[in-house]
Amino acid sequence: MTRFILRRLISGAVLIFVISGIAFVLLYASGGDIARRILGRNASAELVSQKASALGLDRSLWAQYTDWLSHAVRGDFGRSWFTGELVATGVTSRLAVTLSLIIGATLLAAIVALVLGLLAATRGGWVDRAVQVVSVLGFAIPGFLVALALVLVFAVGLKWFKATGYIPITTSFTGWVSSVTLPILALALVVVAALAQQIRGSVKDTLNRDYIRTLRARGLGPARIVGKHVLRNAGGPALAVLAIQFIGLLGGAVIVEQVFAIPGLGQLAVNSTVKGDIPVVMGLVTVTAIVVVVVNVIIDIAQAAINPKVRLS
Amino acid sequence: MFRWKATAAALAVVALTLSGCAATDDSTNTASPSLVISTIIAPNSFSTTQAEWGNRSLFYQSVYDTLLLQTAEGTIEPFLATSYTYNSDNTVLTLAIRDDVNFTDGTHLTAGIVKQNLDRFKSGGGPYSTDLLNVASVDAPDDKTIVITLSQPDPAMVSYLAKEAGLVESPATFDAADAATNPIGSGPYVLDTASTVTGTSYVFTKNPKYWNPDLQHYDKLTIKVISDPTAAVNAIKAGEANAVRLPNSLNFPEVEAAGWSLNLNELDFEGLLLLDRAGTQNPALADVRVRQAINYAIDRPGLLQALQQGNGDVTTQVFKATSAAYDPALDNAYPFDTSKAKALLAQAGYANGLTISMPSTVVLGATSFSIIAQQLADVGITVQYTDTAPENYISDMVAPKYPAVFMALEQNPDWQLIQFMLSPTATFNPFKSSDATTEELISAIQHGDTATQAAKAKELNTYIVDQAWFAPFFRVKSSFASDAQTSVTVMPTNASPAIYDFKPKG
Repeated sequence: MTRFILRRLISGAVLIFVISGIAFVLLYASGGDIARRILGRNASAELVSQKASALGLDRSLWAQYTDWLSHAVRGDFGRSWFTGELVATGVTSRLAVTLSLIIGATLLAAIVALVLGLLAATRGGWVDRAVQVVSVLGFAIPGFLVALALVLVFAVGLKWFKATGYIPITTSFTGWVSSVTLPILALALVVVAALAQQIRGSVKDTLNRDYIRTLRARGLGPARIVGKHVLRNAGGPALAVLAIQFIGLLGGAVIVEQVFAIPGLGQLAVNSTVKGDIPVVMGLVTVTAIVVVVVNVIIDIAQAAINPKVRLS
Repeated sequence: MFRWKATAAALAVVALTLSGCAATDDSTNTASPSLVISTIIAPNSFSTTQAEWGNRSLFYQSVYDTLLLQTAEGTIEPFLATSYTYNSDNTVLTLAIRDDVNFTDGTHLTAGIVKQNLDRFKSGGGPYSTDLLNVASVDAPDDKTIVITLSQPDPAMVSYLAKEAGLVESPATFDAADAATNPIGSGPYVLDTASTVTGTSYVFTKNPKYWNPDLQHYDKLTIKVISDPTAAVNAIKAGEANAVRLPNSLNFPEVEAAGWSLNLNELDFEGLLLLDRAGTQNPALADVRVRQAINYAIDRPGLLQALQQGNGDVTTQVFKATSAAYDPALDNAYPFDTSKAKALLAQAGYANGLTISMPSTVVLGATSFSIIAQQLADVGITVQYTDTAPENYISDMVAPKYPAVFMALEQNPDWQLIQFMLSPTATFNPFKSSDATTEELISAIQHGDTATQAAKAKELNTYIVDQAWFAPFFRVKSSFASDAQTSVTVMPTNASPAIYDFKPKG
């Protein structure tokens, strides 16, 4: 198992290295007139060329990339060209915000989807049909519309939660809950839709297997069969879907963060990309790649833990 | 049964906790002397050398003072400088500096520190360092006097000293590593760096030793950054701010329905910049009749309705309504008249039409570009758009890569507008258009007294409209909405009101 994890981590590191290289080339190739954007539209041509030289933009792409990489491996992603803020500080502070949203959304979705999926698969009938309808609706309704509806009802109308902004958990726990609940609900809906369908299908499929019939024949109760045997087999594919959804939420959070004016990675990515703040974009790309690799490794370990058969493969 | 009870109890606890936290939210507590402002953009850096006015002025004014003060009435008044006087040919500006001002780190303000600030701003490479382009030298003959010598008269100098170029920071920040995020000024408020999230939410506390307490209307100030129009309106409806800069005019009815006031300002105009007036890229544009035909081809009221839901005023001039150059008659110099446009094109030799290339970009709205192309096509002008990445739109424009462009530009005070759009060195005159008349008028404005400047600016405006250097469509209404407890007075010359002009009502 240790070897398996090590292998995954090494291949993950190579992936991060390749992604950063490709991103660097693409970003600098399409960079446009960066120095002018930093200095504003009134700057003279002389000032613009001075700035370009001060930023090292007059060096070769290779020299710039090796310079970036040698600092990045030591955790130094440089400073934002526009704000002077350390990229590492800016990205990690926003990563915490986004992760609290998407981890919250994933956990919530996992619990709700598990309940719905199991109910649909084991009860059948109108419960099954209702879950299917909820799933289709979850897919069909855009996340930002859900977010808007939630704001109108629970923030503007009932004033239970905040409509905009983010309160760090270290400042106030209740404040944090009031600022993240609605974005988490908005994000969770799509994941519930995808996951409930997946769990329903896997559980139904497993319930029809011969060994389940054998277990039933031996007199095991339905709760024991589902809890101990069905879920072990149905859990693997569900976890894979959960991982894909989690990674998808890294991108999906952009719109929700905008509607709620939450300072997450999405907002930083959009602002930095539009401005052409390449050090920040590079920091974001690298951190996102790291998160994706780590999530995949965690899911692999979790799958192995709930189903020993996975370890054999 | 037990489980249901436990679940119900847990839900009740959650509901109580959440409703409790909503009730203690300080932004909705009107009894507290605190102000929550939401604006659309964060400052890049608090270092004064990098300062920018416009939508970012609130951040700088909170922690710093300026040498002079621009009032909501449009006048320039003393501030850190108690007086300012020019010599006879407007090339030496002498300022008397207050002697009762301390920075929040305890350092006493002197003329020497002001000189260092001005020198650093000029050479600091910031986006507005060109404000001080005409400054030849800055001297501090004693602790209370500053003498600014100009290489040539600059009628906008006092205005610059009331904005970014006039900000004065403590010498302690000059070489500080955290200068971008930890400002030390002498302003009405102090940035609470522990409670501030850079780029998102800035918290300020009252400066207890401020020299001008009449300008401190609140004990605590929070400036949030909300650029999304929907989020801004949600903040208004949920009562999470006292004053909100609206990113556009499309939500005005919703904001008023929430019981808020709209404090309107017409700073920007939208329209076509007919840049290639000598016809170097497109010979047709060298003919004034073609440029006038473009102006007649535009249905301004229709465009205003389609693009801004009628929020704004149609115009054919680039000078703003509060300026000396402004002439109300020029708001309708080219009424919508397609047959006149076609006739002018025919006279210029383009009876069979012509083609103009322009850039387009998603940021300025796809609708704008398609309607413009349609209206010009109706008189026989084909627009060939090249889609441009938002970050390259301005660079391409000033390169110059296109003979004409659609753009929204601010209507600066007269001399700044001339330096921005009309003079041969102006950024938005990339083909360096010039002729004897404009040269003579610009020179007269630069060297003249106030009365001459006003008269000549009006002449220049009339000439530019007659020559159709631009095809402006309308002035856009921007708004700083405020709740029932807050009064806001907008600035005629800036996107944001002054921080001192947010006051509690009653």
